[in-house]
Amino acid sequence: MMCRDFDLAIIGAGLSGLIAAAKAAEMGKKVLLLAKGMGVVELSTGCIDLWGYCLEQPEEVCRRPVDEIARMVGINREHPYAKVQDVLEESMRFFQRVCSDNGCHYLENKGDNWLLPTAFGTVRPTYLVPASMAVRSLFKAKSVLVVGFKELKDFYPEMLVRNLKKSGEFDPGCHMKTAITGVGGGELTPNALASRLEQPDILTGVISRVRNFLSPGSLVLFPPVLGDRRDTGVALKLARGLECPVYEVSNIPPALPGQRLLKTLLHYLKVIGVEVIMGCKATGAEISGGHCLRLDAEGAGGSIKIRSRAFVLATGSFLGGGLEARPGYACETVFNLPVKAIEGNWWDKDFFNKDGHPFSKFGIVVNDRLQPVDGVGRVLVENLMVVGASLAGCNYPVEKCGGGVAVATGYKAGKLAGEVGR
Amino acid sequence: MSCANLFGLDNCVKCTICVSHCPVARVSDKFAGPKQYGPDLERFRLEEAGAVCPSVTYCTNCKNCDVACPSGVNVSAMICRAKGELVGRHGAAWRDRLMARVDLLGKYSRLSPALINWCAGNSPIRWLVEKTFGVSKEMTLPRYAGQTFYDLFSYKKKTGGNVSGERIVVYYPGCYVNYHNPGVGMALVEVMVRNGIRVLVEKFNCCGLPLISNGFLSEAQKYARKNIQQLRSHLDRDYRIITSCPSCSLTLRREYREVLGLVDAGRLSSYVQDAFEYLWCMSRQGELDTSFKSVPLRAGYHLPCHLKAGGYGVPSREILGLIPGLRVHDLDAGCCGLSGSCGFKREKYANSMAIGWDLFRSIKEMDTKQVITECGICQLQIQHGAGVTVYHPVQVLAEAFGLGGYIRNY
Repeated sequence: MMCRDFDLAIIGAGLSGLIAAAKAAEMGKKVLLLAKGMGVVELSTGCIDLWGYCLEQPEEVCRRPVDEIARMVGINREHPYAKVQDVLEESMRFFQRVCSDNGCHYLENKGDNWLLPTAFGTVRPTYLVPASMAVRSLFKAKSVLVVGFKELKDFYPEMLVRNLKKSGEFDPGCHMKTAITGVGGGELTPNALASRLEQPDILTGVISRVRNFLSPGSLVLFPPVLGDRRDTGVALKLARGLECPVYEVSNIPPALPGQRLLKTLLHYLKVIGVEVIMGCKATGAEISGGHCLRLDAEGAGGSIKIRSRAFVLATGSFLGGGLEARPGYACETVFNLPVKAIEGNWWDKDFFNKDGHPFSKFGIVVNDRLQPVDGVGRVLVENLMVVGASLAGCNYPVEKCGGGVAVATGYKAGKLAGEVGR
Repeated sequence: MSCANLFGLDNCVKCTICVSHCPVARVSDKFAGPKQYGPDLERFRLEEAGAVCPSVTYCTNCKNCDVACPSGVNVSAMICRAKGELVGRHGAAWRDRLMARVDLLGKYSRLSPALINWCAGNSPIRWLVEKTFGVSKEMTLPRYAGQTFYDLFSYKKKTGGNVSGERIVVYYPGCYVNYHNPGVGMALVEVMVRNGIRVLVEKFNCCGLPLISNGFLSEAQKYARKNIQQLRSHLDRDYRIITSCPSCSLTLRREYREVLGLVDAGRLSSYVQDAFEYLWCMSRQGELDTSFKSVPLRAGYHLPCHLKAGGYGVPSREILGLIPGLRVHDLDAGCCGLSGSCGFKREKYANSMAIGWDLFRSIKEMDTKQVITECGICQLQIQHGAGVTVYHPVQVLAEAFGLGGYIRNY
C-alpha cells in the first residue's frame, strides 16, 4: 500500500474542492484532490449562481446579489456566506481569472443578476456566466430564432418559444421562430454533437442552413452543445457566420457549459501541479487529539494512505454522498462529523414549496476558519476545513446560492491552507 | 447475479456523468453511452439475460465510466458481462477470437517474428487481411521482438545477472512486454537488481483482459484460474507480484473478482503492485537508491485509462520527479483510443483515431518528440498517430540509474 504526503488533501471534486485546490496550489502548496467520481460541476448549467431572489419578496429577482448577501448575513449568521463574506468578491474575481486564463471566459453583468433563458422557455437569474450564454437584453430582441438539431433529443425549440412567449416580457412585435438543422448521422449525445460542431466543415454546413431562417436583427438561441473543448470557439464562429448574436441556453445534463467549466478547472489544476486521483473513495481517517493524521482511501485497483498538514472536506450533501440519511439522523461519511439536522419532518409535501425542503439546510457547522465545530463552538478537527454543499445553513435550491457558496468557501479554504507556514 | 451487483445497479441515479466521459459515445452514433448499455439495459437483462444487442461491442472497456461515476456503479463490469452474454449466445467473428488470444498470436509469431513483421508492413497483404478478416489495414501492428522477455531474462539469469538481493519479488510482465517490448521488462529487472531486489520470473498465462473485452468470459476465467493457481505459492511466501502493465495489473487486482466473479482472487489483489508503487514504498523508507544521473529529456506524459481506473494515482510521478534534468509535462488529453484490440478492427478504426485525436494534437502542441506512458497499447497508438518515440517510465528510470541503452536520442 502506498503512503503519500501532501500539504493539503482535498476530498471531493465538486466546484468547492476544485477551487480550494487551485488557490492552495497557486500559493505554492503540494495539493492532492481525491474523489470517488466526478463532481456535479458538469451536471450544472455552467453558470455561477450567487443569490437569486430578494429576501423580502422571494418572487422578485435580486438586482444586487452582493449587497443582498451582506444584508442576509446580518440577519442569518448561520448561513455559509456569513463565514466567507471577507473573501466573497475576491473569490469571484479569482474564479473569473482562472477561467479566462484557461480559455473559458466568464462574464459579470455589472453587479446585477443575468436573466438567462432555459431550454424550457423559462428565465432564471444567475451571476457569472460563460460568454457563450451571456444573453444581453433578451426581451428587447426584435426577432428570436431558436435552433434545434434533428440528431439531438431533449431539446424542443417549439416548447422553448411557446413558454418564452408566455412570459409576456417581449415586445408585442417580436418575431419568434424555430428551425431544425442537422449535422448528419443518427441520434447523437450532446457530447457527440458538440464534438462534431468543432469540425469546420460541419459548422459551415450548419451556418449555411440556419442562414435561411434568419430575419434582420435576429437573436439566435441554440441548445448547450456549441463545442466540447474548454476553449471552444464554436459560438463565436456561428455568430460571425450568421452575423447576429448567438447564445446557448441552459438545459438538462449532459450539457456542455458545465462540462467545459469542469475541463477548464481540471486542466488548470494539472498545469499548476495538483495531483488529481479520481475513482478513489476516502474510507476513513485517523484523528488523534483533534488533529487528522491520516486519510485512508481505496480505488478499484489499490488503496493509499494520505498524510497531509491540512485536509478539506468537499464531499457535498446527500446527492454527492458527503452526507448520508439514516432513520432519524444524518451522518457525515468520511470523518463522522456531527451533522446539524432538525427534529420532525425533513421534507415538505409540496415538492416545489417556495421555502424549499428542511433537509437542504442539513450539514456541518463550522467557524469562521471553516473548521468543524460542535454544539458549543469547540473545534473538532483543527486541520480540517469543510466547504461547499457539506456546510449547514444554506438552502441552495431556493436561494440560488450553490455556486457562490462553493466558490467562496473553496477559495477561503485554499487561501487559509496556502497561508500556513508563510 | 449477486446482491452486490444488484445494489450497484440501484446506485445509478441516471446523472449521465458517465456518458459525458465516454470517449466512444463522443465520436460515434453507434454507441449511445455507458449508462444506456450498463445500468439502463441491465434492468432488462436481469429479467431476460438474452436482452443484449450487438452495439454493446463498441464499448472499448476503457473504464472511464467507472472512474467518472460519483455513485459507485461498476458500469464497465455490467457491459463486459453483457458482451459475454452476447458472444455466448450468438458467437463472435474469427477475427475477434484470434485477437483476444494475444498470447497464442505471440507464441505462433516465434516461428518467424521477422516474417510476420514483414507481412504486417506489406500493403497488399494488409489489404487482403482487411478484406478477409476485417483487420484495419491502416493501423500499425505491433512489431514482434527478435527475442521475448522470457528468453532475454533466462539468458541473463544464466549469465549471473540476477543473483543479488534479500528482497524478492515476482514479476508479471504481460504479453505486450514479453512479445513486443521486452526492453521494458529488462529495464525493470535491472532497476530492481540495482536496488538489491531479486526478481523471480515464470512463464505466466495472459491475464485474460483481451478475452474479457471481446466477450469470451469462460475462456478468460480459465486463464484467470491458472494464474491464480500459479501465483498462490508466491503469495504463501509473501512475495509481491510486480507489474509494469496497468491493464494486466487492473485485471489481476480487480477484474478477476468483479467481472469473472472469482472469489479466491481477493487475496491476489492485495499482493499485486505496480512497479512504481513498490519503488515508492521503498523510497519512503529511504531504501531506494536515488543517486540518479541527469536525464535531460523533455517529454509529455500520457495517463493510460487503465492506470487511471486503478484509482491509486500515478505511482511513477513522484519517482520521475526525483530525476534531475527530466522535464515531464502532463498531456492531459484523455483516452488514446486504441483500447486493446478495438482500434485494429476495421469498423472501429475510425472511432479509435477520432478518440485519439485530442492526444495527438496535445503532443503536437507541446512540440515534443518523446512521450512517456506505462501502457504498451497506448505506446503503439501514440507512435501510430503522433509519430513520436514512446518510453515506459521504468526505461527512463533505468537510464537515470546509468543502466544505459533504454533511451535513445535525447
